[in-house]
Amino acid sequence: MSVTEEIRNFVVENFLFGDEAGLTDDSSFIKEGIVDSTGILQLVSYLQERYRIAVDDEELTPENLDSVRRVAAFVEVKRGRVAAGA
Amino acid sequence: MNGCVHHFLENSASRRPDKVALVHDGERVTYRRLDRTASRIAAFLIERGVQPEDRIVLLLGNGVQYVASYYGILKAGAVAVPLNLQTGPEALTRLCEELQPAGIIMEREGALLRTPLQFLPSVRFVLFADAAAPAGEGGAWGWDQALKGEELPPEGRPVADTSLASIIYTSGSTGAPKGVMLSHANIVSNTRSIVEYLHLTEDDVQMVVLPFFYVMGKSLLNTHVAVGGTVVINNNFAYSASVLRQMAEEGVTGFSGVPSTYAYLLHRSPLASFRDRLPALRYCTQAGGHMAREIKERLMQVLPAHTKLFVMYGATEAAARLTYVEPERLAEKIGSIGKAIPGVTVRVLGPAGEELAEGESGELVASGPNIMLGYWGDLEATARVLDRNGYHTGDMGYRDGDGYLYVTGRKDHLLKVGGHRVDPQEIEDVLMSSGLLLETAVLGVDDALLGTRLVALAAPLEGAADHLALLAHCRAKLPRHKIPAEIRLVSLLPKHPSGKVDRASCLVICGAAPTTTS
Repeated sequence: MSVTEEIRNFVVENFLFGDEAGLTDDSSFIKEGIVDSTGILQLVSYLQERYRIAVDDEELTPENLDSVRRVAAFVEVKRGRVAAGA
Repeated sequence: MNGCVHHFLENSASRRPDKVALVHDGERVTYRRLDRTASRIAAFLIERGVQPEDRIVLLLGNGVQYVASYYGILKAGAVAVPLNLQTGPEALTRLCEELQPAGIIMEREGALLRTPLQFLPSVRFVLFADAAAPAGEGGAWGWDQALKGEELPPEGRPVADTSLASIIYTSGSTGAPKGVMLSHANIVSNTRSIVEYLHLTEDDVQMVVLPFFYVMGKSLLNTHVAVGGTVVINNNFAYSASVLRQMAEEGVTGFSGVPSTYAYLLHRSPLASFRDRLPALRYCTQAGGHMAREIKERLMQVLPAHTKLFVMYGATEAAARLTYVEPERLAEKIGSIGKAIPGVTVRVLGPAGEELAEGESGELVASGPNIMLGYWGDLEATARVLDRNGYHTGDMGYRDGDGYLYVTGRKDHLLKVGGHRVDPQEIEDVLMSSGLLLETAVLGVDDALLGTRLVALAAPLEGAADHLALLAHCRAKLPRHKIPAEIRLVSLLPKHPSGKVDRASCLVICGAAPTTTS
């Protein structure tokens, strides 16, 4: 399963009670009321555990985290850095 | 004549028409534009047949349209009823039956709304804030069409300051939410008191992350509009770094939150690294429930040295604010809710309504021009909390030798465990003092043997806590009957959209149906 699919599944299971109707990879979590601030922290904990990345407080921004596509891209960049030893 | 809530906007618009009133998502709205939009909304409502004291339901997120609608409703002499955006279809139908609103202003068409439209004869129109909706068909209006008409001239519809301005639903820590009826005079007097003790001026720029449908969010709006200040709306508090960045960019002078807002800022945001980037931040205010001492102390360390922390106390029934602690005395009176705000009296009363001496514990009872008219359509509930002594807050507490008030817990949160009266707040404070937790809630769960069993839901700071360490901490600080029978670790506590802990949902997590406690 790709990172995008995994994140999508996480969001659908944890925030949409399994109902993925209407969720696109670009849906804004906050604007569309999919995830609240509690949920964002749950998502961040999931990313840290599942992908073994550290998410810095400075990185809690909509640019990094506000849609399935953005989260996936963020994870890929962070993992790339881990792999490169940076 | 004290004036009406919408006069705040009209006065600021005539004094400083070009001043920026609102900043939201890159949009900057001047007082002139905001006032004119509100006047168009008012004219639209009157055109639709809205009569004085008719209820208009507002189902909008924080934004320019919310603010224009709110003041527009008031200008038309109608009653603004902002509802929690997360109100589900069933609850909305029930509320609409209770309110018999003349109209609804909401974000976008959803399944939600067909029900009241179809079945409630009182609803004459629904105004959609997204511009694309049709014009007038079947009572549905789009924002742009609604704003095409004339503006309501100033005093186009005279409104008495004694009339009902708003009904705000309480989040209801126990029982069903109740609609708190606030008059123009209630809100205006409270707004003036807050402006006075926070020393707000037109130079103030407030960052608002709390919803406007919650009474504290409403206060932030009215106080800043009253002084001609600027309100920065940021609905992205979940992304705390972007909120802090905007506070730095906009030169924000004031920030406000409930306890969970500050727990989040301290532990899940880059607040510490912004210490040098917030030179304009004059003060922070906290209300919306008891905040643990550890969080207050950490905040005083982490916030910039020039930023004052105001700990405050209030209730929806008081149009928001009742007391505050002067920042200069916060360290010394760290557990206190302070003294009454200007124009308000808060006394500690015994069961027979007698005033208690210093140190004696009783119920906090408030009186003043800010106290609500009553609960909408519920004379019984009104009679339970309003009497000749004023508003019975349901909070238990005492007064110290300097006249500072302390809340020890809520009357209806008191638990009876094995014959002892237990106040969950005391146990929550002890758990927080371990320094291992982000937040916690102590609940009474029905138990066949004990009657009630104490369960603590606890959210640890990252990787910091195990329940044994927490139990050991409780054992060292609490008598045996106050030690939770179980400490359950969770990642976070469920919250209301206001950020307050949702105790009913906490009970569900504990595997119990919500119970009434006494």
